[in-house]
Amino acid sequence: MSLTFKGRPVLPGTVTGVAVVSHGGFNTYASFFESIHEPSDKAICADSGNADLYGRDLAGRVICVPNTTGSTSGGAVWQRLIDMGNAPRAMLFSKAIDSLAAGGLIVADLWGGERIVVVDRLGDAFLEAVVHGDALTIGADGGVVIHRSGAGTSQEAPQEDALA
Amino acid sequence: MAGEEANLRLTPQEEDVLAGSDGPVAQKVMRTVVQYGQALGAERLVDISGEGHLVIAYAIPGTGPSLEMLEELVAAGLTTKYPFTLDPRPPLDYDNWALDRQQVAVLDGMYRDQARYEDLLLRLGARDADAYTCRPFLEEVGNIPKRGDILAWSESACVVWANSVLGARTNRNGAIMDLLCNIAGKVPLSGLLDDGARRATWRIDVKTGDLPLPQLLGAVIGRRVQAGVPLVTGLDRFLDAGLDAPTRDYLNELGTACATAGAVGLFHVEGITPEAVEQGTGILARAHRTYVVDDDVLADLAASYPVLWRDGDARPEKCYLGCPHVSLEQIDWWARRITAALQERRQPRIKVPTTLCAAPQTLARLGAAGSAWRDLQAAGVMLSAGCPMQLFDNDLAVGSAIVTNSTKLRTYTNARFFPDRRIVEILVDGEI
Repeated sequence: MSLTFKGRPVLPGTVTGVAVVSHGGFNTYASFFESIHEPSDKAICADSGNADLYGRDLAGRVICVPNTTGSTSGGAVWQRLIDMGNAPRAMLFSKAIDSLAAGGLIVADLWGGERIVVVDRLGDAFLEAVVHGDALTIGADGGVVIHRSGAGTSQEAPQEDALA
Repeated sequence: MAGEEANLRLTPQEEDVLAGSDGPVAQKVMRTVVQYGQALGAERLVDISGEGHLVIAYAIPGTGPSLEMLEELVAAGLTTKYPFTLDPRPPLDYDNWALDRQQVAVLDGMYRDQARYEDLLLRLGARDADAYTCRPFLEEVGNIPKRGDILAWSESACVVWANSVLGARTNRNGAIMDLLCNIAGKVPLSGLLDDGARRATWRIDVKTGDLPLPQLLGAVIGRRVQAGVPLVTGLDRFLDAGLDAPTRDYLNELGTACATAGAVGLFHVEGITPEAVEQGTGILARAHRTYVVDDDVLADLAASYPVLWRDGDARPEKCYLGCPHVSLEQIDWWARRITAALQERRQPRIKVPTTLCAAPQTLARLGAAGSAWRDLQAAGVMLSAGCPMQLFDNDLAVGSAIVTNSTKLRTYTNARFFPDRRIVEILVDGEI
């Protein structure tokens, strides 16, 4: 089975990856506070206030969130993670991207190295559907497909929800 | 970003810079700001009209621009349109932090580029060598935007103050983008720069028996409203109208906690903050939600904070106060309370090494000859213009038994939160 959602490509790209999901706001700086200092192939979420993600490895993952929160220092985190090789593969936002996330991810894209793919406005239904460990395919057009075992059927999410 | 989504209209001058009229680095800066505007759905850019405040005070990768990026900007002859202040310096005044040799060595290594970094920031437009504090809007520091000023500030605690208490307009800009917008002199017209986004989407009814701790109330509000705009009612029972010093200190701690626990960039307080005074409950959006905060809600939050010390029963090793930086009035409060508690116990000094942080200008005004300074020094409290959070940017403080009165420091470190009055007891007793 697969579920398809359509968002707005902020930093477009075609990637696949494994989902990690936060249903509350994602505090960028608190999450990566301990991951930006020493080169590592891991980025263990250090935000003890995030019950969904605390202790999970976010490196190379597709992070699915409503929005980002917390310190504006979080803007500089993305470029550092890219440099250290433990950045997430993509950031997927159910809401319109917030200024803190937009600024940081765009600076990292234009002044840094490789791209973290960013899609926003995927809708609440996306965040309700996606769960930790889901295999995701993200298209350059902002399409996101959640692949589940028992593939063969396809369930199209309501577009009005996905674009809310 | 997908071209069809971008409706950002540029002026001819902005188009020229984007086409490279001011050189390739200015072109890249403008491209970054334009793409920022497109992502935020802005229809145009607007001119920044006041000084900046930037979060990028630290020469460690991951918290600000790299030296290479700063050098590229300086080499291109770029500066910000207005001077800017910055977050507090790292705690490199080691004598004021009771650090051991291993910690000093680690910090020396981490901040080996700090002097060069600060020199580059000075050349890009930093006000002066003392431009470092998270309370730039204190009178003695003097970065006080006017109502309606358009700004590109970062540091969540400063953004929320500029919007809420001063009535200036800034979004929560992230590190590095803050600098680039101030160099371009432009910021996307979006979010909290728009009238519509400044209406309250939440009504927070405070129904506590006494004035609630601002740190806890702010954390409750931030968690609940996330990126929303709260109108807080019920505080005018306890706080004087007119934004006197105690009210300003209260709102600063409230806003800092709101911004840390959520993504609050603007709050209104009925009868107190300027836009709420002007509009009353008319500032509420029609579709707002309501949440009631009583004493139980605050107690539940405090009880939910995990203890992240290696040994949860340890005696506190250190205490950090002044996150955000304290005012002269707050320093006086600590001096009086600690002195009184020591006198009551007939005890000469506190038992927990403690650092209290304030702006360089606040400490200069306090003066080494002042009674509060003398009392704090005599009690064993150290004073610094640094930032305690930077002590945790390494492995040496992980799990250590640190206490604080800051929910911001608690959020980003393993420090345990206690209310001010309880902190005084802990410092004097040396145990929890």
